[in-house]
Amino acid sequence: MNAALYRKIFFYGFLLTLWHGLYQAKIWPEYLFPSPADVGANLWQGLREQSYIFAILASFRRLLIGYGLSVVLGLPLGILLARYRWLEQTLGSLVLGLQTLPSICWLPLAILWFGLSDSAIIFVVVIGSLLSVTIATKSGIQQVAPLLLKAARTMGAEGVRLYRYVILPAALPTVMSGLKQGWSFAWRSLMAGELLFVNVGLGHLLDAGRELNDMSQVIAVIAIIVVLGWLTDRFVFASLERKIAERWGFH
Amino acid sequence: MSAAAAEKLSLHNVSKVYASANRSGIIALSEVDLHVRVGEFLCIVGPSGCGKSTLLSILAGLETPTSGSVLMDGLPIQKAGTERVVIFQEPALFPWLNVLDNVEFGLKMKNIPYPERREKALQALELVHLSQFQDAYVHQLSGGMKQRVALARGLVLDPEILLMDEPFAALDAQTRDSLHEELSRIWAHTKKTIIFVTHNVREAARLGDRILLLSAHPGTVLNEFKVTLPRPRFIEDPGVMDLARNITAQLKSRHREIAPEVVI
Repeated sequence: MNAALYRKIFFYGFLLTLWHGLYQAKIWPEYLFPSPADVGANLWQGLREQSYIFAILASFRRLLIGYGLSVVLGLPLGILLARYRWLEQTLGSLVLGLQTLPSICWLPLAILWFGLSDSAIIFVVVIGSLLSVTIATKSGIQQVAPLLLKAARTMGAEGVRLYRYVILPAALPTVMSGLKQGWSFAWRSLMAGELLFVNVGLGHLLDAGRELNDMSQVIAVIAIIVVLGWLTDRFVFASLERKIAERWGFH
Repeated sequence: MSAAAAEKLSLHNVSKVYASANRSGIIALSEVDLHVRVGEFLCIVGPSGCGKSTLLSILAGLETPTSGSVLMDGLPIQKAGTERVVIFQEPALFPWLNVLDNVEFGLKMKNIPYPERREKALQALELVHLSQFQDAYVHQLSGGMKQRVALARGLVLDPEILLMDEPFAALDAQTRDSLHEELSRIWAHTKKTIIFVTHNVREAARLGDRILLLSAHPGTVLNEFKVTLPRPRFIEDPGVMDLARNITAQLKSRHREIAPEVVI
């Protein structure tokens, strides 16, 4: 075990103790400020009764579909924008403009188009992350060193193979950061969407906690959302980024 | 016809003008005539701005001349191809591939199947004495080693012509010395036609059969020197130093304004 781990354990231990101390001091009523033990009990119960598990699965399903669509659409769109100047000047400017719009603003439109359904939320998730993936892919490709392209051309790389074996791998570090940003935008859009209209999911559990005046549930669900976000960052994106950094020698 | 057959490259009246803000454009090369024999080691020397890199890009097929003809084996050069491999000043290796995969790259583009591809790449790495680094990533190599990998990556394609654009300019003197030795050895061994661009007159005298002197603004052929010094040569050989001094002196007397940029 290393010093960093000890510091973390100490820090979170301290945070829980502080929380418990504040609870004991009874500054706020119990229904607004539950103890760590209450939240832990709520979490345990929700997981044991599987209602939280179903919510996690429902949210992840939407997230994976939405994010998957963003990647599948965003990568080729980014490639096209990098490839054709006229497309960048027209569609590219629209993409940049739309990226400034918080994706949840699309929800009313999505509900009118798709009704109160999963499709509406997935639409918001796609819009939320698609543009990040597209813009990162486009700029990653445009930043590839011209010398690498020259070298590749003199070695016989052309057309699709130039993209597959040179341009896309060379753009990978930038594309990767776009994929990561897209994931976090997808996750935020999903939570916003789920909060705003009721359906099975983590956002819905939050809203239900508010309606039932159940602060333990609200905090327990926030904890789940934080932990899930942290886990995917740690075990998916951070490890991919580490691999890229090792290979390319970014340190 | 035997004289014509032995001619690898011929350039007639080649000019290159880049578009610029004013209407006349920038003349990089002006009416260059050049003939290169099969197996010749030709060095092109000149100050910066003499268009030597442009000339090499045209030979590589990466750029097209504004006017004039560029023939290889009597046929016009229209695009880049693996019979003319370029070694740049920067190694331009692919950082996402390890050393061996970098060397294999061109063979993969030629659809050479895997076992054969690997075997050839290993041979090429052996030629540049880097076999034990086959699994290393590019960033783990020194500048000289990277340039050796670039050389192996070009040689593995068995090109007819090696085009080298100041390939050792960014290296320290010692590393450059050892790469001169390796390049001379590889040239003697493979009989490739080599066109080697440099701003270093001594390097040219050390390596070449013939040295072409270009002048700047616009780039045009100033003079030509046959190098008859015996091989193997070394950079500190009196003959090499004398020739370098002689070339530099001629450059100075003809073009006082460009001489300071040329390294002896």
